[in-house]
Amino acid sequence: MADDGTTSTSASPTAAEDAALQEALAAAHAAVWGYGVVGAALPAEAREPVVAAERAHQDLRDQLTALLTSRQADPVDDEGGYALPFPVLSAGDAAALAVTLEEGASVAWTWVLDQATERSTRELAVAALTAAELRAVGWRAQAGRTPVTTPFPGLPA
Amino acid sequence: MSGPLSSPLGTAVFSRRSLLAAALAGTALLTAACTGSDGDAADAVTPEQVDQLAAQVQVQEQLVSAYDQALAADPSLAAVAGPLAEQARAQLERLRAAAPGSTPSAAASTGAASTGAAAVEAAGARSWLRTQVTAAAAAHTAACPGFTGGRAALLGSIAAGLRGQQGQLA
Repeated sequence: MADDGTTSTSASPTAAEDAALQEALAAAHAAVWGYGVVGAALPAEAREPVVAAERAHQDLRDQLTALLTSRQADPVDDEGGYALPFPVLSAGDAAALAVTLEEGASVAWTWVLDQATERSTRELAVAALTAAELRAVGWRAQAGRTPVTTPFPGLPA
Repeated sequence: MSGPLSSPLGTAVFSRRSLLAAALAGTALLTAACTGSDGDAADAVTPEQVDQLAAQVQVQEQLVSAYDQALAADPSLAAVAGPLAEQARAQLERLRAAAPGSTPSAAASTGAASTGAAAVEAAGARSWLRTQVTAAAAAHTAACPGFTGGRAALLGSIAAGLRGQQGQLA
């Protein structure tokens, strides 16, 4: 039984939540890969936030994999390769890609919030969403975007 | 190469955005859920949650009022805090739309919400405002897991947005 007191006759009462968690895991895989591209396009002295962001997504990836596995769900794997949304040829492009990665993660985590039946999952999701938005603010500034903040991370404006 | 940078972060994401937009855009479905009519079970709310959501509306009203007070005390904040204030107002409007029966409180309608700073000093206005933003973000973050469905998503999103604002006022 989910912690909201509901019961279900389906095989898993967390099926919708698990599906959303799989999307968050796919976004984490993409972010880990994408930050490799971001880092390669930045000078060595500017890579500290890239390393930190990549580590954050790796941690979430591992946490999600463990959670889904504990529920007998088969965690989605990373893709062999990913299509870049635009060429990454400069530091500005790299920052813009990082914004795309974090905003993609924000959408995924907001969807988890929408679908989650377990309170603990919502706690995880709001923390992950907040961290993604904080990173996105920094990258938007580096990409020269204004405003650097958004009122509704992960939701339609 | 092909993969999630063009699928989970692309097409699928936008389909989910659309679903979320549908869940959050109006009050009709939310009201129906609240009164036990047909609707998404995840968007059903208990009377306690209605009260809690009203409390979050009040938190946001106080924040909007705090922005007004800080900008009045120190007009030089306008360049930084003006756009943030507009975002806070947009958040308030969407929160009200998601809160069954929500109407502006007396404090909000008079612009004198009890933020605990009736006389904001120009010299400390920025720091004071940052404290108000931090408090509002913490309140929404704490409340978010107590909800389900679109309301949880909305509160979590607003909390994250305010955390982003917080850094701009440092």
